[in-house]
Amino acid sequence: MANNFEEEIKKLVSDITEVPPEKLKPDADFFKDLGVDSLKAIEIVAAFEKKYRVIIPEKDIPNIRSIRQIIEYTKNLK
Amino acid sequence: MSKKRIVITGIGVVAPNGIGKEQFWLSLKEGRSGIKPISRFDTSEFKCKLGGEIKDFKPTYFLGYKGLKGLDRSTRLLCSAAKLAIEDAKLSINYNNTDDTGVCTGTTLSSLWNFAEFDKELIRDGPLFTDVSLFPGIVINAASSQVSIRFNIQGFNTTVSTGYSSSIDALKYAIDFIRLGRIKAVLVGAVESLSLVNFAGFYHLGFFAGIRGEELSCPFDKRRNGIILSEGAAVIVIEDEIYAEKRKANIYTEVKGIGSFFDAYKTGKYHPEAYGLKESMKKAIYSSELKITDIDYISASANSVPQQDRLETKVIKDVFGKFAYNIPMSSIKSMIGEPYSAGGLLQIVASVGSIVNGFIPPTINYKIRDNDCDLDYVVNKARIARINNVLINNYGPGGSNASVVIAKYQ
Repeated sequence: MANNFEEEIKKLVSDITEVPPEKLKPDADFFKDLGVDSLKAIEIVAAFEKKYRVIIPEKDIPNIRSIRQIIEYTKNLK
Repeated sequence: MSKKRIVITGIGVVAPNGIGKEQFWLSLKEGRSGIKPISRFDTSEFKCKLGGEIKDFKPTYFLGYKGLKGLDRSTRLLCSAAKLAIEDAKLSINYNNTDDTGVCTGTTLSSLWNFAEFDKELIRDGPLFTDVSLFPGIVINAASSQVSIRFNIQGFNTTVSTGYSSSIDALKYAIDFIRLGRIKAVLVGAVESLSLVNFAGFYHLGFFAGIRGEELSCPFDKRRNGIILSEGAAVIVIEDEIYAEKRKANIYTEVKGIGSFFDAYKTGKYHPEAYGLKESMKKAIYSSELKITDIDYISASANSVPQQDRLETKVIKDVFGKFAYNIPMSSIKSMIGEPYSAGGLLQIVASVGSIVNGFIPPTINYKIRDNDCDLDYVVNKARIARINNVLINNYGPGGSNASVVIAKYQ
């Protein structure tokens, strides 16, 4: 993982949600705060998996609802 | 089915030689071509370099920034044309009338780009790492659906995909829906966009001008040797006349008659007698309740393919007999190229301009006469004329044929 991992994740989420990176708070809930629908949520997961070449198990997906949770989850993957 | 009168009350067009109806009509009147060197993708490995490309298209101007990222070029073109048409028709779509309004789009290859990109990543990066955001766009009804989503149109949404004749077939479907009393107004759309995939496909089929001979769109001219592929989108608002009058809409023209016919022959080949086109024309004229002598102008499907232009000329003589020589005709494909499924609706929009503004657009690039093509072609310069009734043809190899008669509203 790159050093600027958090920034990379922000950009990835920003590209999909169309919310500027500076407005993306680490704890903002994708569904409640950013207007992400189920399709966009799948896009976020798929883009993450593609970028870092990992597979997130189906059961974990509903628990990842913010940028901070993506980062925390990734720590466990290492 | 009741014979409700069907009127055209709104027009949106995004064409290689003009965006918006006024620009498009002006370009046609001035004989201005939209065919130019392609810049959207690299053509260095092809013999052919030209296309009817829309270069100055800025989707944000029509659609804003939000939600644009996930839309491919075809969808952007169609949604922009839809916005222009809705505004032109002064159609206010709201909670009360959304169920009375529908969308019907003719397109065949518009989702090909998404398909190819999705597939490319699947092969390059492996099946687990392809871009899922491309997937919703690979269905053929994606562009049409986005029109409904964006403008909240809930009556019905259909995509008609019959190759060349798709957009006139879409119009026919929409008219039937109105006449059945199931809907009051329909946004009839058509779209195709240029991409490396469809360009390479038509190129390898050997359809392009420039593979053998000059790279030029010159319908009816002896030098013609194939199509120049193009892109474009058009949307017209059609309504039941009573509904249009009730909401005090501006009526451009009436759709008098329409006909289609599938003359299945051989894949990618023309029926040697253009039987289907002949039947489509007869059906369109018969259903319009006009006489053949009432037709003031024929907007030809001629796309600069040797066989197509000759066959169209022949069947016009079969249907109109000696009157064929008295009816001016022209092909706007000399200026916009061959936009495949979108061709019919772009011809309809052009013909509305002919009726409203009193001119016949020219077939440009005409120089050398072909004895097989000997009708009254309006060549190189527009002709000023009073036009009441136009017959529009659309067909290509493969079997699908469609014709429509539009008329001055009176």
